[in-house]
Amino acid sequence: MFGGGRIKLDKDLLARVKKYSDIAGYSSVEEFITHALEKELSKLEDAGSEEEIKKRLKGLGYIS
Amino acid sequence: MRVRFALLLIAALGCGCARGNGGGTAAGKRVVILGFDGLDYGYTKKLMEEGKLPNFSRVAREGSFGPLETSIPPQSPVAWSNFITGMDSGGHGIFDFVHRKPDTMTPYLSASEVSGGGKTLKFGKCQFPLSGGSVELLRRGRAFWEVLENHGIETTVIRMPANFPPSGTATRELSGMGTPDIRGTYGEFSFYTSKLFAFAGEDIAGGQVYEVDIYDGVVEAKLYGPDNPFLIETEKLASDFTVYLDPKDPVAKIVAGSEEIVLREGEWSGWVPVEFPFTCWIGGLQGMVRFYLRSVRPDFELYASPIQLDPMAPALPISTPEDYATDLAKAGGRFYVQGLPEDTKARESGVLTTEEFLAQARIAGKEFADQFPYVLDHFEDGLLFFYLGNADQISHVMWKVLDPGHPAYDPEVDPKYAGLIEEVYVGLDGIVGQALERLSADDTLIVMSDHGFASWRRSFHLNAWLKEKGYLVVKDPGMEDDPGLFVNVDWAHTRAYGIGLNALYINLKGRESNGIVPEEKRKALMDEIAAALLAEVDPKTGGPVVTKAYQRDDTYKDRGYLEIGPDIIVGTAKGTRISGHSALGAVGKEVLTDNVDEWSGDHLMDHETVPGILLANRPLKKPAPRLQDLAESVLLEFGIDESIQPREREN
Repeated sequence: MFGGGRIKLDKDLLARVKKYSDIAGYSSVEEFITHALEKELSKLEDAGSEEEIKKRLKGLGYIS
Repeated sequence: MRVRFALLLIAALGCGCARGNGGGTAAGKRVVILGFDGLDYGYTKKLMEEGKLPNFSRVAREGSFGPLETSIPPQSPVAWSNFITGMDSGGHGIFDFVHRKPDTMTPYLSASEVSGGGKTLKFGKCQFPLSGGSVELLRRGRAFWEVLENHGIETTVIRMPANFPPSGTATRELSGMGTPDIRGTYGEFSFYTSKLFAFAGEDIAGGQVYEVDIYDGVVEAKLYGPDNPFLIETEKLASDFTVYLDPKDPVAKIVAGSEEIVLREGEWSGWVPVEFPFTCWIGGLQGMVRFYLRSVRPDFELYASPIQLDPMAPALPISTPEDYATDLAKAGGRFYVQGLPEDTKARESGVLTTEEFLAQARIAGKEFADQFPYVLDHFEDGLLFFYLGNADQISHVMWKVLDPGHPAYDPEVDPKYAGLIEEVYVGLDGIVGQALERLSADDTLIVMSDHGFASWRRSFHLNAWLKEKGYLVVKDPGMEDDPGLFVNVDWAHTRAYGIGLNALYINLKGRESNGIVPEEKRKALMDEIAAALLAEVDPKTGGPVVTKAYQRDDTYKDRGYLEIGPDIIVGTAKGTRISGHSALGAVGKEVLTDNVDEWSGDHLMDHETVPGILLANRPLKKPAPRLQDLAESVLLEFGIDESIQPREREN
């Protein structure tokens, strides 16, 4: 799983992941978990784009 | 195949918001609210007394006129959210233009959040989104017009701030402040110049400068859109355009999309539709742009407005129903779609001169004002809210003309514009006149503003003050030009910090990612900092720097989102404002400096010093001394005596 790495998930959590990966149309639990992790990582990576953040805030006009 | 909203939605910026409603049966009553952003009570009163605003005065004679207490803090998204929901920030969750994520200590715009798409199918250099991104309105709570709709009363809500994406709960809505340009920003202009090293090394806030070459009198350039969501490698969408310079006259022909526009120097174009091809066998994203030809020679200089969502084919939801924006465009022509369209950023950066900025602001103001008669003529009954923000934006960059004591006042130039703000107010008086012409004696007309205005003479660098008082510690005391975002903050020894335009936070253990102040010490520290803020004296003016230090837990009565707010809301003295530098998490060295920027008027101060206005053509059944009270007064005008939402309040 996950390229040879192993991740331990709580039993209940795993059951929920299985249930909702089916409902959401993912082809496998791995795909669902990969997607969820990518989404979270992209949030953190976005947070690192400091110049972009500053630029966006400066667009308000209130911040020169 | 033209890909519009649906595809961009799933790709990058799209919206998962609910929309539509059942409309309502006519109840017969008509209430029209004109929302004039930033109309100052004191200045309005003065002009009324001088007979300059005859329609305002007529309404006041028939009904009432007075100050309207604004929100804490007096920032537009906060103020309008108070009005919309009848709650304070504790209930609607908007405390400042800028909030911060305590787990990453990164700031973000508080009113809406865009999240990217999810799964993609990759093929060569292309990717195809399989699930949607979303744009979420972060203002919480029910809007007052929902109550009306629930009672079968139709509502038309035009450009209500803090309502993007549109709530989908009014019969007709057009989004306003908070609506992005096509790049997803609050408006980024482009400036094309053949002048070498124009603005070299300068950080141009709110726009991009592109150096272009002229070959045989022809300039080839590109307009840039958002990142192409269909490419794996990050690459901006682009749309080519060509400019042919007349060899003799100060004239140029611009070919963009399928349009050819001939402009003389100093002329503005109308809206030019442009398409941004996606590649990857998929069509394109539609936008529109307005050009201003400043100069053909010796240097070629061309301004291009922020690229707007095209109301003829909006790529994001901007209205309810979705085709309402298109109906407006078909009736009166294309119009600025982004919130706050007056390009104050281009003026501040020097890309536009004062005259050019005013020309652009007048175009934007006229587009919106010209829609009013159309909207009013199609309004049968129920509620009509119509917003105009021209006074606010022009006041921000021109208020100094009313204040010869302002540090940026230029005695050679500014007297020429002494009547400018008055001219804007007189224009709004004309809008009130149009409403009076069309309304009957039984109709209710309310004219209101969200806050007033003041000269911004002195800048208060809150983080530098916190450092001076020992509440904030820096890593490098010698750092020059602190870039902000807390890069120089030593969190292990910092107890309080500022981010946002009126906000001060305690570096709280268990909340902030590097918090050090235990919860049991929070209140005592807040009391101490609040007292110190109120005791601070500006050595230049001899007056206080801060006249209100509102502690969050005591100030806000509504609950639900209180926890995301700042611990202290700093109400600076009239004339003093927290600097933009400090608002982005920079520390710097000086605590107080003169404000020498073009952005010379402001309202982000002690809320009692900048009230808005409330004008009504009849005494309201329920008086509204505060902005927050007004929506329930409006409901009562329709005979509806209920709170907008069940409240969870303290006390």
